[in-house]
Amino acid sequence: MSIKDKVEAALYEVIDPELNINIMDLGLVYDISVESKNVSIRMTLTTPGCPLHATIVTGVKTAIEKVNEVENVEVDLVWTPAWSPANMSDYARVQLMHR
Amino acid sequence: MNNSFSHVNIKLALAFILTSLLGLVASQFILFWNSEWLIHGYFRIPSLWMAFHLLILGFAVMVVMGAMYQMIPVVLLTPIWNERFGFYQYIITISGILILSIQLGLKPSIAFYGGAITIIGILMFLFQMYLTIKAQKQKNRITGLVVGALTFLFLTIIAGFLLAWNIGNGEILRHESIFSSHLLFGLTGWFTLLIIGFSYKLVPMFSLAHGFSMRWIKKAYFIYLLGMFFLILSFWMNDSTLSQIGWLLLWIGFTLFLLDIREMLAKRLRRQLDRSFRFALMAIYFGSVIHFLAFIVSLMKANAVIWGVLIYLYIMTWIIFSILGYLKKIVPVLWWTLKYDKKIGKEQVPALKDLINEKNDIIIYCSFLIGIVGTVIAFLTENILLMQVFQGLLFVSIVLYGITIIQILRK
Repeated sequence: MSIKDKVEAALYEVIDPELNINIMDLGLVYDISVESKNVSIRMTLTTPGCPLHATIVTGVKTAIEKVNEVENVEVDLVWTPAWSPANMSDYARVQLMHR
Repeated sequence: MNNSFSHVNIKLALAFILTSLLGLVASQFILFWNSEWLIHGYFRIPSLWMAFHLLILGFAVMVVMGAMYQMIPVVLLTPIWNERFGFYQYIITISGILILSIQLGLKPSIAFYGGAITIIGILMFLFQMYLTIKAQKQKNRITGLVVGALTFLFLTIIAGFLLAWNIGNGEILRHESIFSSHLLFGLTGWFTLLIIGFSYKLVPMFSLAHGFSMRWIKKAYFIYLLGMFFLILSFWMNDSTLSQIGWLLLWIGFTLFLLDIREMLAKRLRRQLDRSFRFALMAIYFGSVIHFLAFIVSLMKANAVIWGVLIYLYIMTWIIFSILGYLKKIVPVLWWTLKYDKKIGKEQVPALKDLINEKNDIIIYCSFLIGIVGTVIAFLTENILLMQVFQGLLFVSIVLYGITIIQILRK
């Protein structure tokens, strides 16, 4: 399993507490890049000004730091391109229908 | 990490919000205790002044300040200028409101002193917000709405100060005109514009709406402000036509805001909305109906009793219901952040929904509604027993609401 796969798996454990769906299925993560033991994440949130944004970003860093091979994590929170419902997986879509 | 990350001091926001609930409970108890005066339409007596100021300043203003300490950093993506200053502001404001309310209840002639401390507290808040907004790099539409609301808060306290001066030192300006301006600045300028501004942010956030246009926001804001301008003119010129135009414009402005909200809800991804949030949305419809009724009443040259009922309904079913609805969404976020912020990503953490017990919400919200309708019927029929029953119901439902908030803090 590559570091990138492990990072991706770790990000499935980070849950948006308001929607109770993980950030990968929500399509919030735009890019994962790994250089040696340094990981950079480019991600967004469902809406700018989300009161939980600090918490989610901290959660992303913490989850990735748990991957043994990773030494440094950079999280770049971006608003362009804006998140779109089209980013969501079918799983997230079904979950939202019931929330 | 991107510099749009803005820190929020949870304890500061919670301090304001939790203290405000005491003001709400106390105000409802005093109103219940003075049901007899309410029935006879004696609103301007010391104990009711105390109740109204505890409700408006002790609850509504305090809770909105707390919500702003949480919301401003995330909505404007700018940290609060000075959090320590915020705690000092909290102590001065709450002391001022307590002293003012007690003085109004026991000896209104010295209320000037409590009012002065309250004004210092509110000015400190305005100063804090001014420097925070000044530091915002990219101003947006919400910035405009917030600045407008803060300006009206400033005008409200100036008018309130003049009222207190009039009571303590004799009339320097026409009391009725200042009183009407004070109410308009506070209720429509400060609360309504702020709730409208935050609703444009909160409604899409809580409903996960996307692809909406917000196409009426500028027109809604401009027309609402124009309506306020006409009403202020009517207060000082005693002109009923200006008043009718003013109320019509307020209703049109509010309706445009409602149209935007309806579009957001039509384009939402979340099908099941939380009960408290639905309650806040219902308040928008109440607000629209009351604005319309105010316009109709302005055409009929109704008496002070009818206007008194409308102002009461405006405060309770639009402003207070909006706040109570949003508060049950805001408090869990604050508490969750305080308790689980460091644990997310490390271990299993509860979802926000796990902190909220919605089971009793329907009963509590229905009790609010029945209580409000009942007190209005009791007032119009001058039935003291009905007033005691329904004001008592309101008091009990407010206490139960407070308990549900405390339950969130125990999870």
